[in-house]
Amino acid sequence: MSNNERGILAGKVALITGGASGIGRATALLFAREGAAVSVVDVDEAGGQAVAQAIVDDGRQAIFVCCDVSQAEDCQRAVQQTVDELGGLDILFNNAGIIRRATVIDTTEEEWDRVMAINVKSIFLLSKYAIPIMAQAGGGVIINMASGWGLVGGRRAVSYCASKGAVVNMTRAMALDHGEQNIRVNCISPGDTDTPMLRDEARQLGESDERFLAEAAQRPLQRIGQPEDIAQAALYLASDASSFVTGTTLVVDGGGLAG
Amino acid sequence: MRGLEDKRVLITGGAGGIGAATAARFLDEGSRVVVLDRDEAALRHIKREMPALSGTIVADVSDADDVARAFEELDDLLAGLDVLINNAGISIRHRFMDISPQEWRQVIAVNLDGVFFVAQQAAQRMLAGGGGVILNMGSTSGLMGYHYYADYNASKSGVIELTRSMALELAPAVRVNCVCPGYILTPMQEAEYTPEMLRACESKIPLGRLGRPEEVAALFTFLASDDAAFITGHYFVIDGGEIAGGLASQQ
Repeated sequence: MSNNERGILAGKVALITGGASGIGRATALLFAREGAAVSVVDVDEAGGQAVAQAIVDDGRQAIFVCCDVSQAEDCQRAVQQTVDELGGLDILFNNAGIIRRATVIDTTEEEWDRVMAINVKSIFLLSKYAIPIMAQAGGGVIINMASGWGLVGGRRAVSYCASKGAVVNMTRAMALDHGEQNIRVNCISPGDTDTPMLRDEARQLGESDERFLAEAAQRPLQRIGQPEDIAQAALYLASDASSFVTGTTLVVDGGGLAG
Repeated sequence: MRGLEDKRVLITGGAGGIGAATAARFLDEGSRVVVLDRDEAALRHIKREMPALSGTIVADVSDADDVARAFEELDDLLAGLDVLINNAGISIRHRFMDISPQEWRQVIAVNLDGVFFVAQQAAQRMLAGGGGVILNMGSTSGLMGYHYYADYNASKSGVIELTRSMALELAPAVRVNCVCPGYILTPMQEAEYTPEMLRACESKIPLGRLGRPEEVAALFTFLASDDAAFITGHYFVIDGGEIAGGLASQQ
């Protein structure tokens, strides 16, 4: 994307939740290549360390913070440690998420609360601690992970659909509240993307990976998304290329929702 | 942006405003750019301003025969097409009750007929050439109601739905998306709005300002690039947050 040696995120600090795998990992690697110092935040210590190490081995700057994004104290610590060790916080990518493939009948109360905590409450918590830092620095960017299922319904995923609908509208509300602080807030709505989460869905539904992935590829562009496809969308929203874009959802789904 | 170098790009309504800013941005990215416009004087001007352009074409997008002729000129200039920025559009500020049949026809003819005529010619060449990207100019006016632009708003809603249907039929070879700007400070906007009206617009935009043509150009280049290779069939809003809350957000 960049014509600039140093990258289009040079001098920026980005915190990425769920950075140990899938879309979060691809985004961490891409942002680092584009010059950002990256704080990889995840509960997966081994995976998160590996991503941070890969960035450092590439001669870039990264740290790993072990953090349960559903816990306020953890989120506050993740933001603080990022600021202390990387010198600020310009980009918050609220990417961490989980899915439970079940109807209302089959979803337990614990599962419902956990999906809401990881997918929605985490955005509230991290933004709460990140926004004052961004505002003080003159602005920032927040990118929330929504989903095509935040825009339309999906079968056997009621808690996930509810959580992603919430993400889409809290993105708009945050954009209204923090525009005057020059903080842009947008979300990305991917379609099925080849990540560990997608393969876990196949397992939850008792389907083979092959069959599940083949069905997911039935969309106008005739393939499923790759983490890199979504990372590029995040890069667009994180960069100055989108300086007048706020309160929107960027759909990246190979045309899945077009018709 | 990746993959824009040497791409053959046609920009309709490209002699001024957002179109001209988009031409400049694609030239920066190393693309080969042809600008189409019905304003001959403006084309002469942009040719002087941007000597790197591969050519300019005078044509009226609302006339199917003229569009067919323009694409023959384009074939001579670029021998094919990779990216279409289907940008040409007009608006007239008038009350719904005052819209004459001629005015209605004129707005729909440029904004909707024109987008269709140009897209069909472009898609023919892209399908024959192995693929491409079509980006149609929508507007937040195609998503929300606005006073005094009923014909324009209807045309932009039409463009959004045309985009989705084209994306389905032209996939996977051709990606089709729509860009929906809110208030952008263009000559079209400055001609129609008084300074007071512009200040009123700024006050309802969360980012507190109007957008710049260069910012819309950046969205076009992103969507045309390989960075957006999995994006088709959608509209993308660039409005400083204006429609995130609608009327309910006004304090």
